[in-house]
Amino acid sequence: MRGGSLIAPLLLLSLLVPSCRKSGGSEDPSREDSAALDARLAKLQERLAQADSGEESGDPVARWLLGPELTEVSGLALTSDGRLFAHGDETARVFEIDYRRGAVVKQFWVGEDALREDFEGITYAGNRFFLITSKGVLYEFAEGADGERVEFQRHDTRLGKECEFEGVAFDSTANTLLMPCKTVGVKSLEGNLVIYRYTLGSDASGTSTSELSIPMAQAVGNNRWKQFRPTDMAIDPWTGNYVLVAAQEKGILQITPAGAVVFSRPLAGSHPQPEGVAVTRDSILIVADEGAGRAGAITLYRWR
Amino acid sequence: MGFFKRLIDFFTLGSDRPVRRLIAYYLVLAAVVGALMYFFPVVDREIGSAQLDTAAPGSNVLQDGLAQETVRGFDSDLSPRLELALSTFIILLGILAIMLPVSWVYMSTRSNRGHNQQVAQTLIFLPLVVAGIVLVVQNSLALGFALAGVVAAVRFRTTLRDSRDTVFIFLSIAVGFAAGVHMLLVGAVVSLVFNFVLILSWRYDFGRSVLEPTAGAQWSEQLTELAERRGGGKVPDRDLVLALDQKKALALAERFDRVRKILGPSGKKPRFNAILSVTTETLSEAQSKVSAALDDVAARWRLDEVVTNVGKPSELFYLVRIRKSTSKDALLTAVRASAGDAITNADLEVADSVAAAAEEDGDQR
Repeated sequence: MRGGSLIAPLLLLSLLVPSCRKSGGSEDPSREDSAALDARLAKLQERLAQADSGEESGDPVARWLLGPELTEVSGLALTSDGRLFAHGDETARVFEIDYRRGAVVKQFWVGEDALREDFEGITYAGNRFFLITSKGVLYEFAEGADGERVEFQRHDTRLGKECEFEGVAFDSTANTLLMPCKTVGVKSLEGNLVIYRYTLGSDASGTSTSELSIPMAQAVGNNRWKQFRPTDMAIDPWTGNYVLVAAQEKGILQITPAGAVVFSRPLAGSHPQPEGVAVTRDSILIVADEGAGRAGAITLYRWR
Repeated sequence: MGFFKRLIDFFTLGSDRPVRRLIAYYLVLAAVVGALMYFFPVVDREIGSAQLDTAAPGSNVLQDGLAQETVRGFDSDLSPRLELALSTFIILLGILAIMLPVSWVYMSTRSNRGHNQQVAQTLIFLPLVVAGIVLVVQNSLALGFALAGVVAAVRFRTTLRDSRDTVFIFLSIAVGFAAGVHMLLVGAVVSLVFNFVLILSWRYDFGRSVLEPTAGAQWSEQLTELAERRGGGKVPDRDLVLALDQKKALALAERFDRVRKILGPSGKKPRFNAILSVTTETLSEAQSKVSAALDDVAARWRLDEVVTNVGKPSELFYLVRIRKSTSKDALLTAVRASAGDAITNADLEVADSVAAAAEEDGDQR
């Protein structure tokens, strides 16, 4: 064989060998994963400490790229014990994410058959989850085990004509679901940022509704936005303030439960389409972004 | 380009085999792209990694977005306009890199019947335009409808000579689409597989009816005839054979065979050792005068062929055996002296053995 004929196979081999080593070189992949996840946790704690000391203010402390099932991640929810859940846009499939290590812990489905709706937000109220659709329909269900399908109850808030909903949060102090309006359908409320309060009854069905409206000019503040169209909402566990994010404005807004604006500003870092927000008890702000042509992601910031 | 060609020549040791050259091209391209991906992460994203940077389905461990940005994220420092321009430029360069071998394969596999230069150029230009359109339309339904309207208003009609040309055009559209949605990798793999499948099917004449003789069998008779009998069956001139069609090759073989018979059986002393060609305006007069001269100076001769031309002088070809005592110049001088104005030109091609003998004589003197 001439020298030239050897070069091509050798080059090809040299390209293949590293990928083979990567895919099959480890004897115990789970142990390798576990070590890597622990390293991630240590790195996160280090970055949080740096952020607390003021060395890296405003920079994200972690960002996890979500799998294809969550490319269109649409909402985040924190349970009372601090676990993070996320869901996609079209199917009632809920994922538990270890946000400190960057791993999916489990996933479960809502409904025996494939439940398809335009799901826009999720929250955890007491011991139940609520998924909300853009037309204000709530799906209530309990947490499922990994791979399980869980039963659900459907509640129509009948607010679909008044508002296009994009998120939901639970105010435990008032036992109320908070549902921010992305687009207001009532003329009298136009020009306002509107949040509906949907009080849960003892049987988990809504018993009363009210709304909180804030003049849009106040919500926009000094930013260059024309308006602020919220895509999700969370409650700061320490202050009880409402924290809202908007995809089009790529902004974040904090208001008091009474409606006073604490601040509104653009989100730091790169956020192609923020669709979910959560604030943990240990002061971490989590923002979920739809992929917008790339991978979906959750980004963690130190929340002060 | 010259450097690139020399590089491929190096990897293939200058081989003309299309498959070998294609493999070399793709290996060089892979190495170049690999290096670019390492040093310029925006390249990595444009070739399709944006679709791959999610965790694999079923995997529980999510990818670290910050680590990726730290390692390969300096493109995020670019301004959005510059990044857009750069990514578009990379996409278009990628298309050129993918479509060049496709156009080579197109030209190679059409060489027998002659390829259409317009198609070869279209293969390069079309995906550039398609990618540009897809980049502009993106996910916009409104822009998509507007594009459909604009295209409907302009009539593009052309008839391709070969239906296989259409497949090449489709491929170029597919590559353009792939590049436009930032999936250059898909376009590259499609074109790579396409090229090799096509060139191998061309090489092995795939699809020919088993009832018809294969291309090799169709050519074997002509090639055997053309080959030198003592040359171990080797074809004398590859380019000559490739320039002929089958009929012409057979005609040439018949002529070779006739000359061989005239010259006598191989291994024996040839009956003739020179060819005299004479150009004349007056064919019969020249023929009689040249014959008279050859009777005097040649040991043996025979009129091999008369080529009558319209509008230009005719030609006479004589097979001649030159006497040992007669030199080439002496024979030509005698012919010219005898024929005079009846011929316009005379030339003598002698066999190698005669030329060598003449040289030896000269040296001895």
